[in-house]
Amino acid sequence: MKLLNFLVPFLAILPHGLCANSDTDKYEKYRSLARSAPIDLDDSSYEDLTSKPRNYHVAVLLTATEARFGCILCREFQPEWDLIARSWNKGPTLNDLKVLYATLEFTNGKETFQKLMLQTAPVLLVFPPTVGPFSKVDDAPLRFDFSGPISADQLYTWISRHLPNGPKPPLVRPINYMRIISGVTILMGVVTLFTVLSPYVYPVVQNRNLWAAMSLIAILLFISGHMFNHIRKVPYVAGDGRGGISYFAGGFSNQFGMETQIIAAIYAILSFATIALAMKVPRIADNKTQQVAVIIWGSVLLGMYSFLLSVFKVKNGGYPFFLPPF
Amino acid sequence: MAESPLNVLLKGNTGRNTRGLLRIIILGTIAAAAVSSRLFSVIRFESIIHEFDPWFNFRATKYLVQHGFYSFWDWFDDRTWHPLGRVTGGTLYPGLMVTSGVIYHILRFLTIPVDIRNICVLLAPGFSGLTALAMYFLTCEMSTSPSAGLLAAAFMGIVPGYISRSVAGSYDNEAIAIFLLVFTFFLWIKAVKNGSIMWGALTALFYGYMVSAWGGYVFITNLIPLHVFVLLCMGRYSSRIYISYTTWYALGTLASMQIPFVGFLPIRNSDHMSALGIFGLLQLVAFADFVRGFIPGKHFQRLLTTMIIVVFGAAFVGLVVLTVSGVIAPWSGRFYSLWDTGYAKIHIPIIASVSEHQPTAWPAFFFDLNFLIWLFPAGVYMCFRDLKDEHVFVIIYSVLASYFAGVMVRLMLTLTPIVCVAAALALSTILDTYVLASPGPNPKAKVVEDTSSEPLRSARKPDVGVTSYLSKLVVTSSAIIYLLLFVAHCTWVTSNAYSSPSVVLASRMPDGSQHIIDDYREAYYWLRQNTPHNAKVMSWWDYGYQIGGMADRPTLVDNNTWNNTHIATVGKAMSSREEVSYPILRQHDVDYVLVVFGGLLGYSGDDINKFLWMVRIAEGIWPDEVKERDFFTARGEYRVDDQATPTMRNSLMYKMSYYNYHTMFQGGQAVDRVRGAKLPAEGPQLSTLEEAFTSENWIIRIYKVKDLDNLNRDHSNAVAFDRGHKRKRATKKKGPRVLRTE
Repeated sequence: MKLLNFLVPFLAILPHGLCANSDTDKYEKYRSLARSAPIDLDDSSYEDLTSKPRNYHVAVLLTATEARFGCILCREFQPEWDLIARSWNKGPTLNDLKVLYATLEFTNGKETFQKLMLQTAPVLLVFPPTVGPFSKVDDAPLRFDFSGPISADQLYTWISRHLPNGPKPPLVRPINYMRIISGVTILMGVVTLFTVLSPYVYPVVQNRNLWAAMSLIAILLFISGHMFNHIRKVPYVAGDGRGGISYFAGGFSNQFGMETQIIAAIYAILSFATIALAMKVPRIADNKTQQVAVIIWGSVLLGMYSFLLSVFKVKNGGYPFFLPPF
Repeated sequence: MAESPLNVLLKGNTGRNTRGLLRIIILGTIAAAAVSSRLFSVIRFESIIHEFDPWFNFRATKYLVQHGFYSFWDWFDDRTWHPLGRVTGGTLYPGLMVTSGVIYHILRFLTIPVDIRNICVLLAPGFSGLTALAMYFLTCEMSTSPSAGLLAAAFMGIVPGYISRSVAGSYDNEAIAIFLLVFTFFLWIKAVKNGSIMWGALTALFYGYMVSAWGGYVFITNLIPLHVFVLLCMGRYSSRIYISYTTWYALGTLASMQIPFVGFLPIRNSDHMSALGIFGLLQLVAFADFVRGFIPGKHFQRLLTTMIIVVFGAAFVGLVVLTVSGVIAPWSGRFYSLWDTGYAKIHIPIIASVSEHQPTAWPAFFFDLNFLIWLFPAGVYMCFRDLKDEHVFVIIYSVLASYFAGVMVRLMLTLTPIVCVAAALALSTILDTYVLASPGPNPKAKVVEDTSSEPLRSARKPDVGVTSYLSKLVVTSSAIIYLLLFVAHCTWVTSNAYSSPSVVLASRMPDGSQHIIDDYREAYYWLRQNTPHNAKVMSWWDYGYQIGGMADRPTLVDNNTWNNTHIATVGKAMSSREEVSYPILRQHDVDYVLVVFGGLLGYSGDDINKFLWMVRIAEGIWPDEVKERDFFTARGEYRVDDQATPTMRNSLMYKMSYYNYHTMFQGGQAVDRVRGAKLPAEGPQLSTLEEAFTSENWIIRIYKVKDLDNLNRDHSNAVAFDRGHKRKRATKKKGPRVLRTE
């Protein structure tokens, strides 16, 4: 940092002696304020920083991270934004490209938010310089609207596209040592535990019933459309518009979270009835009990299948088939 | 016991022969049913190639038949991807075309004159009969019951999950690939059971055929090593596994490398690394097994531990180094998107844009598999009873394939075979238990119970069989009802959902008679007959193969989607203003632009509905010039009426879709029937394109790109002049910018 303090006045003077000393000071002032994280602004410093003339780029993130505003996007994006600022500020010093990264919190900058008529947060503004080699005729700030969760890499490519050509510091994600260490520790712990407990664990691992249960649960989850819920992030249930709850989504390629659980349960019952009929019933020694079991499982099978068909008919209007009870 | 004629037929040697004959007759009938249930589309429409990809396969097959195998192998196609061209011979899976070419030449040799188109149309149904047969063999390996195999074959023959990709006319790679998949798995199971080099080599042979036919071969490449790995983990290493796997891997990899499109991928791509890794692991296990015979137990343990640590460390470091240095390619995008489900949406919009790559909702499973879907878990459970090597295979396959089918609709196809196997296992157990006509305990009960480590909970007690006739009647009759329902369901689904060629659309007239909408072919034949042979046609990539196949005109992009930038260029031309698009059109020598518009008929698969994908793909390459946000109104709606955003209304796609559309309606009340929107009374103006052709129902609209103006005006001025407006003076130039075509 010291070296930078020493160099920057020279650098500023050498390529363009035109720019006034005060501007250099302003950049320098905020630059030293920044250290590595983005600068925290309030209304007055925002005005000061973005006022003309400026010989540097400013990227300001207008955001509302406080919990009471309930802006999840803001809170999720804040560490990514810090990462961008840190990568830039700690990266190799570039001779004449000056960029400042700043954050304006809503609580500190209500007036600015009003002035810009911002209804949503976060919003990123990038102000181009008004003097110096990179100045633009049109000094209006560029605006980036957040339409959804976004990673630092995506935003950084957007920012660098709007900066002048030339080398830019790469985005460096700090290695999460904590996570690596904890991962290794947990892994070693598991291995140790496994070694120590192996006399007890082996029978469990080798237990057929356990593996059968796991495979069946996995299969039932997948065939009842769990991956669809996971990818499309469907709601669990939805209202039917009359104050009630509709468990089944309309439409063939649409579903609710609860709906898939109902379907998984139906499939599970049907499969279990099949297994019972095929494997359990022939092993019942008593004739009477066997007879009763067959009738019970047979009717469970029929009832459930009929219910499944009626549910499917709801999803697919033109489906012509049904079974008696439902 | 009296020797009734029936008993003579069913007992002893004669009995075996009778049963064999019956089995052959049943299998023949199943194959016939499988073929005939796929002929709906031919009967209802005509013998025609369906959809999109089949048109390319058909075109390639015609090329193969006309020019011979070697020129097909070296085929450079300059009529697609203009001006780049495509090294077609080196970038396709030739198995399908070569198969139909061989059939064609055999028939010719037998002096049976059959048109190559009919071979292509009927190839998929023909192979579905073979698939049913392969299914019979595979399932017979899994079960001792004679009925399981026949049930599985019958299921496979008519299950909609497979019919969806193999109706007559659906001339796609999957048509033969599913047969090869099932048959390769059968050979593999056979190889594992017998530990014979012959079966291993046959597996490799059919694996090689599979590689030449379908990109889905990667599924086999990963499933077989996984099977071996799980067997090793279960402590079931044996020389049988060693022999079959090493034979398969060595020969199969060599065979797969003969396909130019695959080339060196099997040793460089991460998708194939598991097979190589298991190959190495198997050598080590074999070595350890060998050494164990010579070294006392204590030393052996120590040696084994050291060896495992050293080898795994070295392999891991080596893999990381090779991946980082780029010798091994990272996972391919399509494959990667299976694991990280959010990946494709962010990084590869072109993969995410295809409807087949969407996740599967539960009704689709039931629609495609009907009651097999709930027999499936039961069948998998029954595999745990014996848990031989082949049952482990079924279990792994089931879990993996149901995951894949859940992530991608299209992979329902790989799930279907194993569902048929498992469901047949479950149902055959039930039938064997209940159908037996004689009262008293089941003779099967004497089968030796599994005495290995831990039997399944439900199989602990001895099997005594079902005694009462009522029980048998109840279960058997309900099983028959479910089976009949299954057949009805399959027929209904096939006839209603999977038999439409999508090139020809069918609708019902008010009096119930069928009306055929044939706009696609009308437009493609117009192109064929009214444009020069080298006229370049630009359209969205979906229609590239059809234009190439039916209109025989060069296209800019097609369904091969190998060059994302080129597709994005077309997307940009479609989604930009005319002033921006025209230079792009000129640079790519475009003569005609084709759009699909469903507004008049209510045909929802049209270009305006696909438009956002064009925008997204273009935005991926030119984020500054095309922005998805600009196509949504301030309230975030995608609209085409008066409220449409200026960007939307000025985009080339919008203009081409709605050009002159309002003249169809009285009093300026033009209505878009797909999006249910009233259009502005004033239709859009086109200055750089002119309407060349619009099909009967307006589904296809073709525009001709105007040449540069003779008087060097820009086109909007020229159009304004023609309409009688005075030319604006140059000093007050505020209109659109001057065109630059460089």
